[in-house]
Amino acid sequence: MRVPLPKSVARWTALAALALTAAACADDKPLNTFEPAGPAADRIDGFMFYIWPIMGIIFVLVIGGGIWISVKNRVKPEDYDPEDLPPQTHGNTRLEVAWTILPAVLLAGISVPMVAQIWDLEERNDACEPGEVGEGCDGLDIMVIGQQWWWEYRYDADGDGFFQDANGDGVVDGRDQELPLEIALDPDDVVTATELVIPADQQIDLLLTSRDVIHSYWIPRLNGKRDTVPGRLHTWSVEAFEPGKYTGWCTEYCGLSHARMRMSTIALPQDEFDAWLDNQKQLAEVPEVGTDAYEGRELFAQQCASCHVINDNSADFDPGDDVAFTIFDYGENFEAALTSKAAPNLTHFATRSSFAGGIFGVYLGPGTDPNDDALDVSQYLTLAEQASAADSRDDFRVNSAQLKRWIANAPSQKAMDPDDGRGMTAFPQLTDEQLDNLVAYLATLD
Amino acid sequence: MSDVAIPVEKGPVGAHDIRPGESAHDGGHEEHHASLGLSNMKLAMWLFLGSECLLFGALISTYLLSKANFITELLAGNPDVIETLPPEIAAEFIAAGSVEPIYDIPFTSASSFILLMSSLTMVLAHKSTHEGDIRNQRVWLAATAVLGSTFIAGQVYEFTVFFREGITYNGNLFGSAFYTLTGFHGVHVTGGILMLVALLIMSFRGKLQRDRAETVELVGLYWHFVDIVWVLIFTIVYLIP
Amino acid sequence: MAITEEPLALPAGDSGPAEKPLGVFTRPREATGLVNWMTTVDHKKIGIMYGAASMFFLLIGGLAAILIRIQLATPNSTFLSADAYNRIFTMHGTVMVFLVVMPLGAAFANYMMPIQVGARDVAFPRINAFSFWVFFLGGLMLNTSWFLGGGANGGWFNYAPNNGIAYSPSTGIDFWNVGLLIVGFGSLTGSINLITTVLNLRAPGMSLMKMPVFVWMTLVTQFLLLFAIPVLTVAQLLLLFDRLFEANFFNVAQGADPLLWQHLFWIFGHPEVYLMILPAFGIVSEVIPTFARKPIFGYPFMVFSGIAIGFMGWGVWAHHMFVSGIGPLSVTAFSVATMFIAVPTGVKILNWLATMWGGKLILNTAMLFAIGLVTQFTIGGLSGVSHAIAPSDTQQTDTYYIVAHFHYVLFGGALFGFISGLYFWWPKVFGYKMNEKVGKWNFWAMVVGFNLTFGPMHILGLQGMPRRMQTYDSAMGFTLWNFVATIGSLILAVGTLMTLYNAFYSYFQWKAVGKPDVGPDPWDGRTLEWSVQSPTPEHNFDVSPTVTSLDDFWHRKYVEDDDGAIRRVATGDELAQPGNGEGVHLPAPSYWPIVLSAALPIVGYGLIYNLWLTVPGGLLVIAALFGWALEPADDLDLDDGHGHGHGGDHDDPDGGGNADDLLEMV
Repeated sequence: MRVPLPKSVARWTALAALALTAAACADDKPLNTFEPAGPAADRIDGFMFYIWPIMGIIFVLVIGGGIWISVKNRVKPEDYDPEDLPPQTHGNTRLEVAWTILPAVLLAGISVPMVAQIWDLEERNDACEPGEVGEGCDGLDIMVIGQQWWWEYRYDADGDGFFQDANGDGVVDGRDQELPLEIALDPDDVVTATELVIPADQQIDLLLTSRDVIHSYWIPRLNGKRDTVPGRLHTWSVEAFEPGKYTGWCTEYCGLSHARMRMSTIALPQDEFDAWLDNQKQLAEVPEVGTDAYEGRELFAQQCASCHVINDNSADFDPGDDVAFTIFDYGENFEAALTSKAAPNLTHFATRSSFAGGIFGVYLGPGTDPNDDALDVSQYLTLAEQASAADSRDDFRVNSAQLKRWIANAPSQKAMDPDDGRGMTAFPQLTDEQLDNLVAYLATLD
Repeated sequence: MSDVAIPVEKGPVGAHDIRPGESAHDGGHEEHHASLGLSNMKLAMWLFLGSECLLFGALISTYLLSKANFITELLAGNPDVIETLPPEIAAEFIAAGSVEPIYDIPFTSASSFILLMSSLTMVLAHKSTHEGDIRNQRVWLAATAVLGSTFIAGQVYEFTVFFREGITYNGNLFGSAFYTLTGFHGVHVTGGILMLVALLIMSFRGKLQRDRAETVELVGLYWHFVDIVWVLIFTIVYLIP
Repeated sequence: MAITEEPLALPAGDSGPAEKPLGVFTRPREATGLVNWMTTVDHKKIGIMYGAASMFFLLIGGLAAILIRIQLATPNSTFLSADAYNRIFTMHGTVMVFLVVMPLGAAFANYMMPIQVGARDVAFPRINAFSFWVFFLGGLMLNTSWFLGGGANGGWFNYAPNNGIAYSPSTGIDFWNVGLLIVGFGSLTGSINLITTVLNLRAPGMSLMKMPVFVWMTLVTQFLLLFAIPVLTVAQLLLLFDRLFEANFFNVAQGADPLLWQHLFWIFGHPEVYLMILPAFGIVSEVIPTFARKPIFGYPFMVFSGIAIGFMGWGVWAHHMFVSGIGPLSVTAFSVATMFIAVPTGVKILNWLATMWGGKLILNTAMLFAIGLVTQFTIGGLSGVSHAIAPSDTQQTDTYYIVAHFHYVLFGGALFGFISGLYFWWPKVFGYKMNEKVGKWNFWAMVVGFNLTFGPMHILGLQGMPRRMQTYDSAMGFTLWNFVATIGSLILAVGTLMTLYNAFYSYFQWKAVGKPDVGPDPWDGRTLEWSVQSPTPEHNFDVSPTVTSLDDFWHRKYVEDDDGAIRRVATGDELAQPGNGEGVHLPAPSYWPIVLSAALPIVGYGLIYNLWLTVPGGLLVIAALFGWALEPADDLDLDDGHGHGHGGDHDDPDGGGNADDLLEMV
């Protein structure tokens, strides 16, 4: 029996094609370079707007021409006659000179605006040395430090232009910039991780470096990428037209968990950003004695503080304790920076929406998937507040389960190599209750 | 196809007249005309030396970059770098703003001169071979080898002194780059000396007659190349601050 | 050139032992079998071995590619761990570049180039054998890392400082480093050998501008290798010293600049790109005229554009580093230079199209693959222009857009060209044609699979998917095209395997019909290789041909009438040399190339595991060098009175090729 397949095949093909097109065009591509949301990305996209058609025309002419010539001049094997030769053309110098010169002219034509574009973007990206004052350089400077496998941000909150006294001579000056590890901490600055918070509609100059291997900072909708190279400081910039969340991904292969080194840039309206920065400058509050969070803090001091830093306002903590609840200068020593003390600063952990290199959400609820850009940034300042009101908002709460999994056995959640000093170790000794207490403490860090 | 008489392209007559009935020195071919007029071996040697230029070019670039970075770090007071040097050496380097104080320029100049002279004796060895003067050939080959060995001895001495003064291979960038660059050159000179010794043995066994002048010439090419590279290294490493 | 020497026996006869100097062992005599293949110095057998070895490595690299595609078929896949994925993509790139595409070029160059220039062998047959074995054994050593720690994990570009012992403590990178150093020796000696062959062993009358385009491209390629390999060697030695002896070349704490590695690697790496594609360009420049039945359009332009690519290839390396922070001035210069390298490449493509224009095209498999190269490479070239534009490159580099680009260039370009060459020269090498019907299936499966695999990667890259990613999340919108690409890769794998299948299938078909003689000139060929019997006799030419024009063999078959019409005066079969090797003297096989080559990986393992192991390895190197040096190029047992004097030995402890070169003469 013959089944009349063709009709249904055609129908299915059409459906599949439709589905493909729909899926391809669906607006769910947080890293799409074709949807610029900042001036730099917009210029690149705008320039390429003229290049793609040129490439398309050449594509059609050459490929189409090649296929057309092949089909047109085809001799079927049965028609092959060794005596019947085509005209033996050896070349045509004029023609060849023409198609040497024409592409050259075309490329030269592209080159001129391209060079202008390069310098235009360089001016944007290399506009201001850190600390430079003057036209267009008064904005906030942020140092971006890549490391296996998360991003650290240092805000030059006191505006002195420097992030550290790297050579330890007591003066923060130009000499510090020449050192390989300009990543020691200026006590007045703010340190965060994973999410770069910036004011919208304002150019933010970045200073890129790395603590270990080469990474690359790329927020596709805002700007191109630039490598963060250990021992080098690279200037770069980000600017977003509108408030929003713009996701990114480390784009230079950086070892084991390269695929799980993600980040985002959160652009806030200026006033919200100011509020955010003010809050970040505050020390963390010590939880009330007797609460779960307080227990968690005690535990944190024992278990976590050898790598993580929380700057809090503890009066009852004796600085003589081996508990380093003070500002830790983990750029001081390269080996130490490499193997320990180089974990994310958790002082305001609860103000972030993602953790572990941007792969897990700190919170659960709408818009909290760290992999997309659905976050409602107007709520960004109140993440912890919303979550703490968990009774009324069951749909928005701290992602306790994931946080506990992470603390208990981080290498099972993200490929890391703690034995070689890269990444977070597992804590199999922690009981479930202890994990709950730790999470409770972390949730208070807003 | 019949074996018709074919005009053979003869290149300009080089040092290698291949006599009828003897194969060319190209690994057992029947006599091949050399399209370029250079024998295969000589062409191959030139190509090899061309490749070596890139090798030393990359090594010299590495040295220059590494030394510059080393000095920068030192002057910026990077403690990680300073602690790799004995305090007095570090102080000298910082005061001079360069690694110049470690060098013994007169000594190295003398050993450079010795190496340069060996190029002259190499030329004479080739000339003697070409003239069939086997006695002088042996003298000059031996002289070249001795001069080369003297240079190597000087280098070993210099390395020893540097090491005693505290410049180690794995301490800092300068040590790594210096020993690597000059060491590579030293290995090349040593290779050349071994070739010269081989030539001497051939000569004493009567295998290095006039007809093998090209063999001497090839070793000579290599030897001159290594010398020229040293002139470059000496200038860049020792003379230019 | 006419053979003027007295007749010599072929090295198969037997005669009484002559004076046998110290240290000279009996030469291998087997005319067939494993020992013969291991000791042969015949450029044709070596070429075949290069091809077979490349195919073997292609299976490894291809398997790695399929694993990568399976992992990426779905979001958040756990098919491969991050560690396994990193090792597999590193080994995929390394194997494909160094052990598949490069040696495939060497395979064709080795087999065809000496015949195309009218030579009996390459200039240094034993070094030729050494080049092959050192490549093959070095490649094997590199691949043993799969079982000894899991393969390299630094990416094929292996950037510092991630390649240092602090960040990559496992031995994978040591294998990468040492294995490629060893393979590099082979490339270097091979390049010296092949350049000498092209320049010095051309048949009488074959001036440079009468050489086939493939020979020209081989020449340019080998010059690129000659100058590019030492730069990589230096980079690898620095890394070796860093990892082994704690040198500081890439130690950032001591102030080292990691960009040094990038500069050295790409100064090698960009010429490398062209030396992978140029042999394929050469092959296509032979295939298209043959099956368009017209001479190549604009031969001088084809030659000079190839040379121009070779030269310009040295001035564009930093376009791999537009986001590395090299400063706007460098970015501008390299960006513009990179744009203009499109010009000679464009000339080539247009000249191929012009060759086809007005031709009478025979669209057999070889021709289809050649046209495949022209079209697919054009796509790769165009996407190349889009990231020659530095600002746009900051969005595209290290994304799947780049992955798409270089696969269009290296797979759609180089590999299609090589497969075209396989179909084209198969009858010359093995005496039978590959099946056309399977060939067509092969072609179409590969074209469809290839475009399904790599076409979507353009979209993925522009939608922001970085490369070298073990996994991605469904929220990123990469799911669909990744799945399509995986489907495509399976089709592509089947297509590629069909090439191998066809080789065997055609053989058994041919055998079933009693192995009919394919004849010396099955395609109405244009160049000298078609003037000898198929398969090529061991001695290539009974008499050296004399060349009077470009496409000399074709011009003997066809002449122009007084009234300008082209007329065939003879068939290739009539003109071809009968393959009578009487009186031709060939170099004797030797054990030493393979012994010397085998010693190097032993030294390599010693460097990785235990330095003491380098001692026996080093001793074996020295012994092999002695043996090589003492061994006359001719078999003394078959002495014809031409044995050379032999004496001392030249030894270069740094293992450089110079000793090997010199050894040839003693």
